[in-house]
Amino acid sequence: MANQSGQVYGLTILSPIIEDNRLDICHSMDLRWYLGHLPRDHKSPFARISSTYLARLVVMDDVVYVGAPACEEHLKSRYLIFETNFDGDLDAYLTLMARETPEFVEAVWKHCVGYPGLSDLAVFIAYMKKCQITTTFYFADVNDRTVQTSLKALQTQSALARFIEKHQGQPPAEIQREFGALLQAMAKAPPPVPGGDESHRMPQEDRGHD
Amino acid sequence: MNAITPMKPWKTPILKLLFFLLGAIKPLQKDLKNLSFIHFARWVVVGRNQFPHLSAKQPREELRYDYLLFFSNFNGTWNQYIDAFSAVLSRGLNLIWRWSEKYPGSRPVTEFKRYIALVQFDTDYYYNVYPRAATNDVKAALRVQDALDQFALRSQSLSPAEFKTAWLELLVRVQPDLGSTGVAPVGT
Repeated sequence: MANQSGQVYGLTILSPIIEDNRLDICHSMDLRWYLGHLPRDHKSPFARISSTYLARLVVMDDVVYVGAPACEEHLKSRYLIFETNFDGDLDAYLTLMARETPEFVEAVWKHCVGYPGLSDLAVFIAYMKKCQITTTFYFADVNDRTVQTSLKALQTQSALARFIEKHQGQPPAEIQREFGALLQAMAKAPPPVPGGDESHRMPQEDRGHD
Repeated sequence: MNAITPMKPWKTPILKLLFFLLGAIKPLQKDLKNLSFIHFARWVVVGRNQFPHLSAKQPREELRYDYLLFFSNFNGTWNQYIDAFSAVLSRGLNLIWRWSEKYPGSRPVTEFKRYIALVQFDTDYYYNVYPRAATNDVKAALRVQDALDQFALRSQSLSPAEFKTAWLELLVRVQPDLGSTGVAPVGT
């Protein structure tokens, strides 16, 4: 199935945006304004939809005219494109979206034609599936792990590099003892934060460690 | 990156067949895999009658073309990406986009870039679960985790002398994968 690569699912949704000329600010502009102010780090709604790797939302105004001799044509509606890459099953993901980020789903899809709201989960899922376009070809570079596994591995990589740097040249018995302590500390460490934080904008030497 | 290109509908089945073969014959994905700077990429063919129509009040689209949508999530800058695509995947790209109207070919790269700039559109919102990590970082971290998991199981039962040897073996194994993550240098 082209929507999946290994354990990763690639969802593509095109939701038509409501056109209402009576409004001072049209739906597409209002939606863009909202998306422009939505946090993109650990405060992002997608950080709460914990199986998400990468996601994007795009307001597509029109198709593109590539020049003569091609024909010029235009869409009659604007479309919201929702493209997301996540672990597992589509129904479980849409359920997670509705349960964990109802205010986000409402704020985005209230601008779209036919959005039924979240009062009935099955109806919401059916609506999203009506807007789904099957992916023709999907490529995922890492498709046999989970989001949490990858985040944990990045945390481990950072901790081990720091440990090696700190303990190089020490007697083996001491390294062995400290390594045992490192394993215990890593086992007790809080799970890594999805979406990163402001520290990724800092130079490496100024950052705290993961 | 997002791009949309028009295709004459009679060409769509040919492109879908090519994508089917690309998906079914894994060695054909070798160059895409080896580039190793794309987390996820997808091509989506939207037929001219396939744009969702959800209400009688919504006007139906009347289009002559099918459209090929392309979405990519990659490390680095736009120029680095297009240059690498053109240099490494030239033949594959041409097989995919030659069915789109006015596609100039992926070489020379200047014409290719002009075309991509024309057909791409901007993202309004983007989320990345690990914004400091390139796809190579993720793969390296997973190798480190696997090596560490294996080593951790036996490390505490070793004598100091045995630990020293095993520790050095671990270091040699993980050394290439210990680079730090962060913001990539800006290319020119």
